[in-house]
Amino acid sequence: MSTKVTAPSRPVAALSNADRLSLYYFMRLARECDAAIMKLYRQGKIVGGAYTGKGNEATAVGSAFALQKKDYLFPMHRDLGAHLVKGATVRSIFLQQLGRGNGPTGGRDGSGHYADPQLRIYGNVSHLAAMIPVAVGAALASSMKKEGAVVMNYIGDGGSNVGDFHEGLNMAAVMNLPLLLIVENNQYAYSTPNAKEFAAQRLSDRGVGYGIPAVTIDGTNVGLVYETCARAAERARRGEGPTLIEAVTMRMDGHSASDDASYVPAAMIEEWKHKDPIERWEKILTADRVLHEQNKKEMEAKIRDAIDDAVSFAEESMPPDGGKAAEGVFAP
Amino acid sequence: MPVSTYIDAIARGMWEEMERDPSVFLLGEDIGAYGGAFKATKGFQEHFGADRVIDTPLSEAAIIGAATGAALAGMRPVAEMQFADFVTCGFNQLVTNTAKIHYRWHIPVPMVVRLPTGGYIHGGPYHSASTEAWFFHVPGLKIVAPSTPADAKGLMKAAVRDDNPVLFFEFKYLYRRIRGEVPDGDHLVPIGRGVIRREGDDVTVITYGSTTHFAMEAADIVAQEDGIGTRIVDLRSLAPLDTEMILEAVRATGKVLIVHEAALTGGVGGEVAALIAEHAFTDLDAPIRRVCALDTPVPFAPALEEVVLPDTGRIVQAIRGLYRF
Amino acid sequence: MARTEVIMPQMGESIAEGTIVKWYKKVGDRIRKDETILEISTDKVDSEIPSPAAGILVEILIKEQQTVPVRTVLAYIDAEGMGDGSHGPVVESPRPAAVPEPPPVQRDAAPREALPHRGRFYSPLVLNIARTEGVGMEDLERIPGTGEGGRVSKNDILRYVAARGSKPAAPHAGGAADARPPLPGNEILPMSNVMQKMAEHMVQSVRTSPHVSAVHEVDMSAVLRHRMEHTKAFEAANGFKLTFTPYIVDAVVKAIKKYPLINSSLDGDKIIRKSSINIGLAVAAENGLLVPVVRHAEAMNFLGLARAVNDLVVRTRNRKLVPDDVQGGTFTISNYGIFGTMIGTPIINQPQIAILGTGAVVKRPVVIADAIAIRSMAYFTLSFDHRIVDGALGGMFLAEIVRVLEELDPDMKA
Repeated sequence: MSTKVTAPSRPVAALSNADRLSLYYFMRLARECDAAIMKLYRQGKIVGGAYTGKGNEATAVGSAFALQKKDYLFPMHRDLGAHLVKGATVRSIFLQQLGRGNGPTGGRDGSGHYADPQLRIYGNVSHLAAMIPVAVGAALASSMKKEGAVVMNYIGDGGSNVGDFHEGLNMAAVMNLPLLLIVENNQYAYSTPNAKEFAAQRLSDRGVGYGIPAVTIDGTNVGLVYETCARAAERARRGEGPTLIEAVTMRMDGHSASDDASYVPAAMIEEWKHKDPIERWEKILTADRVLHEQNKKEMEAKIRDAIDDAVSFAEESMPPDGGKAAEGVFAP
Repeated sequence: MPVSTYIDAIARGMWEEMERDPSVFLLGEDIGAYGGAFKATKGFQEHFGADRVIDTPLSEAAIIGAATGAALAGMRPVAEMQFADFVTCGFNQLVTNTAKIHYRWHIPVPMVVRLPTGGYIHGGPYHSASTEAWFFHVPGLKIVAPSTPADAKGLMKAAVRDDNPVLFFEFKYLYRRIRGEVPDGDHLVPIGRGVIRREGDDVTVITYGSTTHFAMEAADIVAQEDGIGTRIVDLRSLAPLDTEMILEAVRATGKVLIVHEAALTGGVGGEVAALIAEHAFTDLDAPIRRVCALDTPVPFAPALEEVVLPDTGRIVQAIRGLYRF
Repeated sequence: MARTEVIMPQMGESIAEGTIVKWYKKVGDRIRKDETILEISTDKVDSEIPSPAAGILVEILIKEQQTVPVRTVLAYIDAEGMGDGSHGPVVESPRPAAVPEPPPVQRDAAPREALPHRGRFYSPLVLNIARTEGVGMEDLERIPGTGEGGRVSKNDILRYVAARGSKPAAPHAGGAADARPPLPGNEILPMSNVMQKMAEHMVQSVRTSPHVSAVHEVDMSAVLRHRMEHTKAFEAANGFKLTFTPYIVDAVVKAIKKYPLINSSLDGDKIIRKSSINIGLAVAAENGLLVPVVRHAEAMNFLGLARAVNDLVVRTRNRKLVPDDVQGGTFTISNYGIFGTMIGTPIINQPQIAILGTGAVVKRPVVIADAIAIRSMAYFTLSFDHRIVDGALGGMFLAEIVRVLEELDPDMKA
């Protein structure tokens, strides 16, 4: 896998140590939430499917960290970290996962398929690429209203082959809209490897076809992801249009809880284990003496408490009222 | 009252809503300087500017998807499909995103998709289709299908103001063939309400869109030649259906003919027939009959198209048959 | 003579008519095939029209500036003598004589067997009219039919009934008749959403749980006394009135802590015992019954409960409840006593398993230590789900509520 790592060409606001610790915190929180979700799934408490973003934390967290409050986030199912950075509470995540009546969709949909207009988070549908034109529409509205907001949308290596990807990106390019489209290339679309998905050398090569800037970056380096996205967001805010960013990562779990990923060569997993996004960042922060035993312990306790609280809150909450299943198909 | 063509009434409705509400905007292929394939938006870009009358690339999925996203973000887009046939390319957006958002997220999606629909114009299999039944089956989409200029304007204004996605089926055949009085100003036709176009005690015809006109002609013929009284219900809205009006009209005559331009099998008429069978069985004095297009694509050559699509003659025959029964 | 029609073309699918702008040729002119002969204008485009044939322009039917429907014949070109054998377009293709009728429906099958007499088919409407007008099957058989195959039509039976004079049958219960318009003077009122939900919920609850109701008598004198002593200071300190409700909620919470099984729900064959005590309060609102919930009542002292209750009551009245306020209850209290009701048998608020109903507090003579005294008394009813709660538990739980209220600490902080 040849990965073109692009160094920032224009300096962006340097991250403070507090920010760097935040990145670490959110990556850890996302991974622990994912682990708790898988546990609840295996306990039969979460029904349907369950997905993790293990290996993808740096891309999800680093990218969303470049956003402002007014910006729109259109994340995917492996971007729990992005949800959390944008302001989603751990409680709301678990209420949604457990399909509770007081959850964000009241049990109407599961996984990350919820929206919170206050936080400007609009979750995915299972036809992942179908959200790209919708994100383009949000960018169009934002640009018409002159909000100065950018829209961050994510797609996978698999979804990047769907027509919506091309139609959406082309329209955003033609209309010069403030869209950041991040392709999380985690090597597999379910069981299909990159080699059977596309013939381009890099997915960022597709940017040329739409006449927009595109880069391929190491998606396990949270600092690099942040810087790349912050620069792209600045461009978009200046009215210079969309950017396509391919973040190269590895899906370290199966496609879903019901997939053991036996089709992934063991050596490949071994190789990527050395690039674990959390461990990489931890090494850097430890070397810089930003992270040490004391604040790491505190952070771990905080994460544990937040998840324990959210899980028990969600478990105690009531499932939705079946009598309301037919309500809300139309707006009143 | 001013008299206008059907297409001008649609344009008038859009124009007034754009004047009224700055969040209303148009997007579609060739709708800007060119004024649209049918000239429905002629002069709009000059007046409202290129920011509110947006020419898009040829991308139905992106048009409907972007309209959906813009509606989520507080705008009220009116998207044009150049022909209702081409909505196939945006089908996924409509059923996967647009229709399901309110149920899942409780966020309104106020948008209109205009679909120039239907045949009788020798457009062939790709410019003549009636596609409403596909969406009729999808919870979360409202569907309107006006048959007169007044309804075209009134339903367009109601559709723009509705907080739900509304598919606006406009009949190309009627664009410049019919004229009618159109009330000035805030004339709104409520979505979900049909209208009785003609009173009669012998046979009820339930129809919408283009075939409303054929049914009216047929009713004149059977009145003059056979003394048959035909009651005509123009549904105007397909989703939601005016169930009450349908059932009342059935009770008035006991004999029902359903007519639409779309193909027979799996059409809206099937659902109307089922409703009647379920809720007005003991009021039926004859089997429910349907006059619809044959189950074929709409062919190109006039000699074929005339056979496939319903016309006045077939409606006359069906009304007489029901009357005799 | 080979005459070729020049027709108004259809310049676009939606175009119905066109206007002749200019004739480039006049009658008698010799015309080559494809040579421009006229210019037309439509709503979409202006266009020069090439001749469909070579020949002589023999007749112009439509003049300049005239507007005609598409496919109208505008002129004729006579090709005779030109010898090129060209033909104009075939304008009208012959229509098929008739569209095939749908296959005839076999309609003499099932309904016949449903009739007591073998004979004609009767439509649902005719049978319906026969029933409501009291026309027997034999009479029906005698009515001459004017429909196809001698079928009795609606008009046939109506004529028969008119001639005979009406003799309506007894109205039948339920069914289709309910969907009819009401009798004159009767009024149809729509059910509000809240009412519809109430209706569904009540039917569902009675179907789900075998209800048992137990009634205890409670001496409210201690509560009354406590309330009287604290009411002024309480209102001054808190800005709202001290009511009975928090006393009852407090007693219920204490009783649940002693008998936690009451705070459960049943899921299949599993009993789910809830860790938090969330007390629903049935409140009669403008448009129906609402049950806002005091959450985590187990964690509140008396003042906390009083505040929470007041907050919910105020917001219910002002229609400011949010969906969360009416969800998650684990036990419900219905105070129908405010309407003067002495004893009620409340219906359980599913999926809970018990509900307390509190009757009106009235002064009654009661026997205390073999003496007759006047005390403020009320009847409390506990309706419980006998699938989980037996009479012993229900009785003990209710007795505990009574005990807490009767033995209320006079010094309890309010």
